[in-house]
Order: sequence, then structure tokens, then C-alpha cells
Amino acid sequence: MARPTAAYRPRRLQLRDGREATLRAIDPTDAPEIAQAFERLTSESRYSRFMQHKRQLDPAALDRGVHPRPGRDFAFVATIPVDDGIDIVGAAQYVRALEDDPTTCEFAITVAEDWRGSGLARQLLASLVRRARRDGYTRMEGSVIAGNSKMLALARKLGFKAHAEADDAGVVRVERAL
Amino acid sequence: MQKPWLAQYPPAVPAEIDFGPLASLKDVLDASCARFAERPAFNSMGTVMTFRQLDDASRAFAAWLQKVAGLKRGDRVALMMPNLLQYPVAMFGALRAGMVVVNVNPLYTPRELEHQLNDSGAVAIVVLENFAHTLEQVIRTTRLRVVVTTQVGDLLPPVKRLLTNAVVKYVKKMVPPWRLEGAIGFNRALAAGRARSLDEPTLTRADLAFLQYTGGTTGVAKGAMLSHGNMLANVLQVAAWMSPNLRDGVETVVIPLPLYHVFALTGCLSFFSKGAQAVLVANPRDLPAFIKTLREEPFSAIIGVNTLFRALLEASDSGTVDWSRLKLAVAGGMAVQHVVAHRWKQMTGVPLVEGYGLTESAPVAIANPVTIDEWSGQIGVPLPSTDAAILDDDGRPVALGEVGEISLRGPQVMRGYWNRPEETAHVFTADGWLRTGDMGVMDDRGSIRITDRKKDMIVVSGFKVFPNEIEDVLTMHSGVLEAAAIGVHDDRSGETVKVVVVRKDPALSESELLAHCKQHLTGYKMPRIVEFRDEPLPKTNIGKILRRELRDGGTAASAAPAPADRG
Repeated sequence: MARPTAAYRPRRLQLRDGREATLRAIDPTDAPEIAQAFERLTSESRYSRFMQHKRQLDPAALDRGVHPRPGRDFAFVATIPVDDGIDIVGAAQYVRALEDDPTTCEFAITVAEDWRGSGLARQLLASLVRRARRDGYTRMEGSVIAGNSKMLALARKLGFKAHAEADDAGVVRVERAL
Repeated sequence: MQKPWLAQYPPAVPAEIDFGPLASLKDVLDASCARFAERPAFNSMGTVMTFRQLDDASRAFAAWLQKVAGLKRGDRVALMMPNLLQYPVAMFGALRAGMVVVNVNPLYTPRELEHQLNDSGAVAIVVLENFAHTLEQVIRTTRLRVVVTTQVGDLLPPVKRLLTNAVVKYVKKMVPPWRLEGAIGFNRALAAGRARSLDEPTLTRADLAFLQYTGGTTGVAKGAMLSHGNMLANVLQVAAWMSPNLRDGVETVVIPLPLYHVFALTGCLSFFSKGAQAVLVANPRDLPAFIKTLREEPFSAIIGVNTLFRALLEASDSGTVDWSRLKLAVAGGMAVQHVVAHRWKQMTGVPLVEGYGLTESAPVAIANPVTIDEWSGQIGVPLPSTDAAILDDDGRPVALGEVGEISLRGPQVMRGYWNRPEETAHVFTADGWLRTGDMGVMDDRGSIRITDRKKDMIVVSGFKVFPNEIEDVLTMHSGVLEAAAIGVHDDRSGETVKVVVVRKDPALSESELLAHCKQHLTGYKMPRIVEFRDEPLPKTNIGKILRRELRDGGTAASAAPAPADRG
């Protein structure tokens, strides 16, 4: 069953468009950078992530996000170096979907606008799948806005099956066995 | 491709439409004006405009746009008015000068108007004075350089004109003060245009005719690019479809739906192509005036939406209307309720003929044959030259009788969304099918029934409302922490907007929130039910909102409507 997994060693990502980013596990000290990355997102991107209009990041949720519970939750960030340190250009996480069900996790991915189309989202999702498997999960699922065709196409490419959510026409549920 | 539905076509309806020599809506205008010259084309407030008068006035307006205002072919011209004689004059005027018409809902708030003007890049607008104050608030941030203002009575006979304009302005006080630098009156523009000669461009089916705005799931309205070919095709398709019940040059159709809405627009143009007189109703919510019009103008056809037919059935004096000449009643825009269809047939003796389409298909793609005896409960069969298929998520046809997404192909289907290649790519399959977002089944005779909706959308009296836009407006208010909009059933409008709100400011009241909404949302988008919650909105563990749980928990609270006026 689920047991805490080893620490994740940072990795260089070589992207399709020639750019590079560092992929590593999230750290509590990332909180201010996550908040800044959120500020840079368009309202449309925020809507895709939270499925509602979010003007600010909720401090409690941010705190939970940078403190994943080992063996249950995990979060990656993709960073690039900038003058004052780093920028986070992508983030991906999974959490246990239902607290009393250790088999299934739920995922979410966000990529900065100017890093779309670089293949970063694909690397993030593929890394999530591998990591969730090591955490003992056997199923991964996620909710995607029905109009988010790029995310749906990516999920299909990585072996997820999509089906309409009952009673919610705006959302597509994607899932796969791990 | 097999078309099992062709067997259901009445003998007079062809499988394919024939464009003949027609290449544009201008050719439809020319043909009807030549053939029906002295017949009434439009009728508003008891005043008739003949086909010849429309020809003259629209030519004058076209000449003014071209020679005086200096507009070029392809320039966008916004029209912001209800159903008045000025509408067909300005619309045909802009089209015959080669310009692109952008229809604007006159009840738009400044926020909505600004978006549409800027997205379309409109350089000219014709606006009814009653709404000029809205335009005044945003005009500086638009590309508009030509403003034509009109008063309600401008095209009525002289005495009636003065009287009507005075009553609207001074008695009913329906014209809030406004000031627009350099604006010119409609009649002055017409007079100046009559003194010029129009260089009529040769229009082809590829030329853009309308940017017709429709809501988007991302919360901003987008313009469907409807070419002359798209519009012409749908006019010919609908005219052919109606031909078993209608004769050329003798009919009168009542148009109580706004012409800025594509269903009324194309419907009206189809009747126009058959030489019918269109009786324009500017405000069908004024039921006594609407019924008075129905009593005074003998009519043989009417178009409407379920909400409107229902209102007519419920009106106490609808029995005083003479329905005996009625041959055709067309319903679109939203699902028809069984009880409405049943009572309509009882009252008028004529069934509601339901059709289906989208702004993106100009709009009619599927309809019941006009020769039916009873409302069918289905949306019908594809029109001539139209293909419909039921597709799965990957764009492959499902087996007969199985549910999938209703998808369309045909000459009426738009080229795409204005300046939005990504959304255009998303709405078409790889094989070029337009995805409607509606789920349905087709039976072995080719009849289609809607089962569900794929898009997160609320349809209020035939108008589409997207939750995203409502939530955006709600969260603009500093007292709101979280908000979600959902559609709930409503006997009158089909669906109505309900919002669930978590407050940041516990003192925020329902009336204050609705007042805020009213500044940014036109009437049909307004929330009718407001539910405040103290606990956060339901979410998945990763923080995505669970709308379906709002729906489950929300039905009980939906009994008490918000005290907002029906816009």
C-alpha cells in the first residue's frame, strides 16, 4: 500500500521549442513564487484550474499546496532562473481524491501562458503519472473544462479516457489506470 | 452520405437548394424589390414601407455610408435598435454598400457594448436615441468614427413622426440625456444619401455579411462570421422549407422577436424573399400593445420562442385575436414545452413547427416539416442541402439510435469566429462538421431529438447565457469571495439564472449585488435567484468547483425568485 516515497531529484527538462526548465518537487519556500505565478495567469487560465473566477489565491489553499502530505499528495514545479531568483512557469499536482480511498488520486496542471505549446504540460503530466504509481495509487483522475481542447487532447495522448460528467455539461472527467 | 430524412420532405420541398443567379443578400433584395415593388415589405406601428420604398431608402443610406461617411467595403457597421423600420433600411443599406453588419442588443450594458464594438472593430453605428447614453459611456475606447442616431418615429409619416418622437421623449421619458460629438440624425443621413449615387459593389457568396455575436464558454462573446453565401443559403433553405404552406407575394408574418437575433433575422429575410409583409413588433413584452397589433394586422404566419407563445396563451385577451388566417407558426431558439404546443394548437388550430439551429449555422439547420398536424417533440430533420450526424467525442458517427453530439454541415454553416482561430478549430471536427454542443439521437427516418446539452450554458427565453460571464461580474464586486452561476428550470423562460454566492463582506445584500449585476449584465443574463452561503462552495480535493453539487442542493432554494424586474 501507499508508503512515503523517496525525495525527488531535480531534473533538467529540454522542451520542444529549445527552451529549458528545471523540474523538481515543490518546497514550502515556493509559496511567494506560486503567488506571483498566479498573478501572471490570465483569468481564463485561472478559470481552467479552479473552474471559477479567482481574483486572489486563498492563503490556506496555498499553504496546503506547498505542503503536500508525503505518500498521499505530490506537487511538481517547473522553474526557470531569472534575475531575482526563479520563476515558476508550470505546476502539477495530485492529491488523494477521496480521503478514505487510497487507490485514486486527482490531478491538476497549470502552465504559464508563454510556455504553452512547448511540451511542458506533457512532461508534467507524464511525471505525475509515474510519481503517483510509486505512491501506490492505481487510478488517476481529473476534471477538465469541456472547452479546454488542448488539455483534453493531451490527456487522451497519455492514455486517459474522457467522459462527460453527469449533471455538469461544462466539465469532462478524464481517468486512467496507473 | 445517406439522407434517410429526405423521405419525410413534402413533395414541394427539394432535396437541394438551387442558388440560381443569386450570389448575395443584395441579390435577394433586388429580386424581391423588382418582383413585389408596390407590395408592403415592412409594417411598423401601423405604417407600411413598400418594397420600392425600402429599395430607395436603403440605397440612399448605402450611398451616404459610402460617399459621405467614407466607409469602405468590409468595414463593420453596428446596428443598435429594436424592431423598427430603420432596421431593414440600415441593414440593407450597409449590406448593399458591401459593409458588414454587426447586430447589437440595444439593452446591452456599457461593458457588453464596449466588448462587442471593440471585438468587431466597428467604425460606424446606427443607434436608437433611447440607448445613446450607453454608447456615450464607452465610445472613447472604441474605433467608432461615424455615429448615426435615430428616433423611434423617424420613418413614420410627418405628423405621426413628430407625435411619436415627442411622446417617447417627453411623455414616456424613454430617452435618457446623451451627448455624442459629431453624431448625425438618420433622416439627415438619408436625405444626404439621396443626393449621391451609390457605386454598387459586386458581392459574392464569399463576402462577409454579418458578424453575429454569440456567447462563449470563456465568458466573452465572439462573432460568428456569416457570409452572404451562408445567409443566402439559409434564406433559400428556409423559404423552400416553408413553401408548402405559403404563397409568394400574399402573406403577412408577425415578427415579435428582435431582428438583432439571428433566428428572427433569417426568418424575416426568408419571408422577405417570398414577398411577404413583415409586421415588426418592437416590444413584445408590452402584451396589450402586441395583441392590439395582432388584432389590427391580419396575419398568416408568426415566428416566436416558447416563452413568447406561452405569454400569448396566458394573456387574457388572446381570444380576441383572429387566428383564422394563420397558416404557419414557427418556434425556435429554445425547447418548446409540451403544454405550450398543445394549448397553442387548441387556440389557433395550427401546430407549432419547431426548428433548430445555432448562430454558427445562420441559424436554421434542422426543422419539422411545415405540413405536420401536431407538434412532434422532436427538432425535426435536416433542411435541404444540409447534413446532420450524431458524433462521438472523437468525431466518429455513433450507431443509429445512440446518443452523441448533433453535428452539422451545409452551405449555411459559418466560416469561423472573427479573429479566434483557436475557438474556430475547436468547434469544427477534422472532417469539417460543426459541433453544436447539443446531445441528441437520430431515428431511422432521420428525425432528431435533443437529449441533453454538452456545453455549460443556460438558455433563457432562447438567449444563451454562459455561467463564466455571470461569475466574472459577480466576483468583480469587492464583497464577493466566491460565486457560481447555474441554470434552474423556469416555467416561463425555460431556464433562469441562479447564483450561489459566498460573501467576503457579510453585510452585502441581495439588492446591492443585483444592482451591481444590473450595471454589467443585460436583462436576460440577470440572476433571478440569489443564494448566499456561509460555507465555501463545494470543491474536489484539488480545488475545482463542483457545480453539479450546487445543482443537487439548489433545487429546494429555487422556489423564491429574486425581486429583480424582468429585463
